[in-house]
Amino acid sequence: MFLRQREPLSFERSVPGKRGMDLPKADVPAARDTRPAHLKRSGFAALPELSEVEVIRHFTRLSKWNYGVDDGIYPLGSCTMKHNPRLNEKVAGLPGFTDSHPMAPDALVQGNLELIYDLQAWLQEITGLPGVTLQPSAGAAGELTGVMLIRAYHVSRGAKRRVILIPDSGHGTNPATAAMAGYEVVELPSLPDGTIAFDDVTDPASGKTRKGLRTLVAELGPEIAGAMITNPNTVGVFEYRFKEVSDLLHSVDALVYMDGANMNALVGVARPGDFGVDVMHLNLHKTFSTPHGGGGPGAGPVCCAERLMPFLPVPVVVRDTVKVGEGEVPRHTYRWDWDRPESIGKVHTFYGNFGILVRAMTYCLSHGSDGLKAATLRAIVNANYIRVRLKGAYSLHIDSPSLHEVVFSDTLQAKHDVHTLDIAKRLIDHGYHPPTIYFPLIVPGALMIEPTESEGKDELDAFCDTMLQIAREAEENPDLLHQAPVLAPLRRLDETTAARKPVLRWTKP
Amino acid sequence: MRYLPSSPVEDQALLDAIGVPAAESLLAGIPEALRLGRELDLPEGGSEQEVAWQMMGQANRNMRFCAQFLGAGAYDHFVPSAIDALISRQEWFTAYTPYQPEISQGTLQHIFEYQTLICDLTGLEVTNASLYDGGTACVEAALMAVRVAKKRSTVLVSRGLHPMYREVLKTNFAPHDDLHLVEVGLKDGVTDLADLAAKLNGDVAAVLVGYPNFLGAVEDLTALAAPIHAAGALLVSVTQEAFAFGWFEAPGRAGADMACGEAMSLGNKPNFGGPFLGFLAVKDAHKREIPGRVVGQTKDLEGRTGYVLTLTAREQHIRRDKATSNICSNQGLVALRANIFMHLAGPAGLTGLAELNAAKAQHLRERLLELPDLEPVFDQPFFNEFVLRYQGDYAALEAACLKESLLPGLDLGRFYPEYQGCILWCATELHTRQMIESLVEILARVPVLAEEV
Repeated sequence: MFLRQREPLSFERSVPGKRGMDLPKADVPAARDTRPAHLKRSGFAALPELSEVEVIRHFTRLSKWNYGVDDGIYPLGSCTMKHNPRLNEKVAGLPGFTDSHPMAPDALVQGNLELIYDLQAWLQEITGLPGVTLQPSAGAAGELTGVMLIRAYHVSRGAKRRVILIPDSGHGTNPATAAMAGYEVVELPSLPDGTIAFDDVTDPASGKTRKGLRTLVAELGPEIAGAMITNPNTVGVFEYRFKEVSDLLHSVDALVYMDGANMNALVGVARPGDFGVDVMHLNLHKTFSTPHGGGGPGAGPVCCAERLMPFLPVPVVVRDTVKVGEGEVPRHTYRWDWDRPESIGKVHTFYGNFGILVRAMTYCLSHGSDGLKAATLRAIVNANYIRVRLKGAYSLHIDSPSLHEVVFSDTLQAKHDVHTLDIAKRLIDHGYHPPTIYFPLIVPGALMIEPTESEGKDELDAFCDTMLQIAREAEENPDLLHQAPVLAPLRRLDETTAARKPVLRWTKP
Repeated sequence: MRYLPSSPVEDQALLDAIGVPAAESLLAGIPEALRLGRELDLPEGGSEQEVAWQMMGQANRNMRFCAQFLGAGAYDHFVPSAIDALISRQEWFTAYTPYQPEISQGTLQHIFEYQTLICDLTGLEVTNASLYDGGTACVEAALMAVRVAKKRSTVLVSRGLHPMYREVLKTNFAPHDDLHLVEVGLKDGVTDLADLAAKLNGDVAAVLVGYPNFLGAVEDLTALAAPIHAAGALLVSVTQEAFAFGWFEAPGRAGADMACGEAMSLGNKPNFGGPFLGFLAVKDAHKREIPGRVVGQTKDLEGRTGYVLTLTAREQHIRRDKATSNICSNQGLVALRANIFMHLAGPAGLTGLAELNAAKAQHLRERLLELPDLEPVFDQPFFNEFVLRYQGDYAALEAACLKESLLPGLDLGRFYPEYQGCILWCATELHTRQMIESLVEILARVPVLAEEV
């Protein structure tokens, strides 16, 4: 699968005088130079000089060192690496969308505004929450927007409050977000299944007691602005007492934020708006199939309850119905509403990652109501199939049906001095991208596997067979795992030196 | 559903292996009362053909233009064909953040090269794998400056900064009762040095200025740096049009301590405002305070050169609430487009394109100034955007242009009451002499056309 030869840095291939771009001939007089001498561009130090074919080959060769969703199962837990339909890419590339200017008058971009309005309507029905903004660029940006909505709500009622509660099983972005929104984080302990501890939890080893939700609500009450809860949680388990959690928080007027990273387990099956969620984000690059792009762009729409709607970012798309004659189908026009006095303001320069919204809309229309639910169920079936096939060979963190992902640990392999990292690296030798490792933090040596609905039985079997083989290798020949990977373009990399003596760009020798 | 690998026989085999009669049995963990209990009230799914036609119809409901004379933070440039071809490779667009370096060297090496080139453009030493867009890049830069400056809590923002960047800054500073954003006024289209001097004090962590600013004028970073550095604050240049790096000196060499902004111009279309490409470049001394993913060079077990995500101790998955930012996913594929663009352009391409942009904008300005109802507002060096005062009615001008499929410049009064009646014009390499002549011809006839309407 991988290219074996080394591809040097492009800068090392640069030859003065080569070019990969010809410029159009000037049809106006040359520019007069009005720049002060000290503001004239003094040249470049690294920009390479290469022909078009050399640039194309360089980036083609580099690409062959990557693993993608089309190579096979990409089981990164919590990342929902599902199939990226080519239709979505084609549609997002239509010039009618790509050429449209964000400052163009509303009347000229009716197609875009309608698309935004329609996608919001789909997300409202899917989440059961009436307010939607599509502005945040990624999940973390959605979280920040959501927490700012919570803050605006409390400010409108007198005080912003001080604390956000976050379970120790949550994503790192949750506490980082709360801090960026000016809140202090108080950690909620979770039970082994990742669900929130209502009662205080005493660690048998240290004898240390951590306060559970009930105690924290009793003690901090009016100081709590809200809680950020991932549901299903990072162990793949539905927070089955969610309604009780939200009722308890609401009793002190604290709001409930749901991290929707794992919404692929709920679409068409359960709606956050129905179990007390006040505000949440969705990751369109996870649940709605938009490509991950090697790290983005994504989109992190925020959905909220009615009481938070006045605070949504500006502008908000509005649909007006044009009056028509009796018996005719009503026509609609769309416009941006900028006049929202209670809005938190803008969270993106323009309207968010619009091209990603186009892809998500295409995904929705392709699936429809029936297809969305079928995808959810299949994602859950696939995760459980992996659970039963690998159970026994790997230590299963929770021995009960999971939702869309399943978490194992390296407990059984540890006695052969084989650890999660070794298992992950050995998977690379067998031609697979490893799962998410060492997360959630509450499961030591975690291997978090999320197959998504895209995988057929053959692919699941091949992956499970490989995992079982690796478990045997761990017993019989642990050195194979310690040395892995040996078949990838590179062996294990020295991350310690990389951080201690950082080399973060190329410089001319 | 064509994307699901479903068949009666295999589905049954999966359920049998799990030991449940139906997929719904696996939902037992979700309390009955919290389940939807009905089907989603949404349309049925569509075939590829049906959805393609529907979306084409939607795209066609946007108006197309022969030429857009509107920039204002979203610039229409030519995109070389190689970019779309390369980013369509599944190895690039379907992969995720390179968490496992041995199986992601393609993405990692590309980011290392991208970092090198952003540093080259800005004349600074360290950058990251990208931020969301120009506005949020300003937020990250301002918050980082506050961390670097220590015990200073005010950030000065020039009124010449893109109005929406200022809005995004305001939104993100609002939650921090201990931090202050203060605006510095404009004089003759650039940051007012007297107002700046009056507002600089020992509490100022950083000053953000547009380079060039929203009005198209270039700020003299060197002149600004003197009083800012004397006050112990950092100068942050904010560039919304990355092509300007081919025309004006690299901010890091002109006096800026940090450079941030928007690099969508490098290989992207306006796309209704996104996905765009935020960037932030800083000095080496400040590298451990930078937000976001950073790639570094290292060796593998056999001593071969390779690349990894590094300085991760700054990041949310390690540091949680003490992280330098909450950013996780960034604008990876847009950064790849920019990287390929910079590789194709090379130094000659970037310089040549910049000269062409400057020439087109200068020509447009000269031709417009020959019309009786357009006049200069201030005289500052500019790149591909400039401001002219219009004596007529903007609405009539806009209507006349749209009728001929031309999108005119921005009505500045929308964002700057003091520039009521002024228009921000933009020309790039895409504007031919003929397009400029068409615009001039239409503007000459606006009063007549308005009467016809």
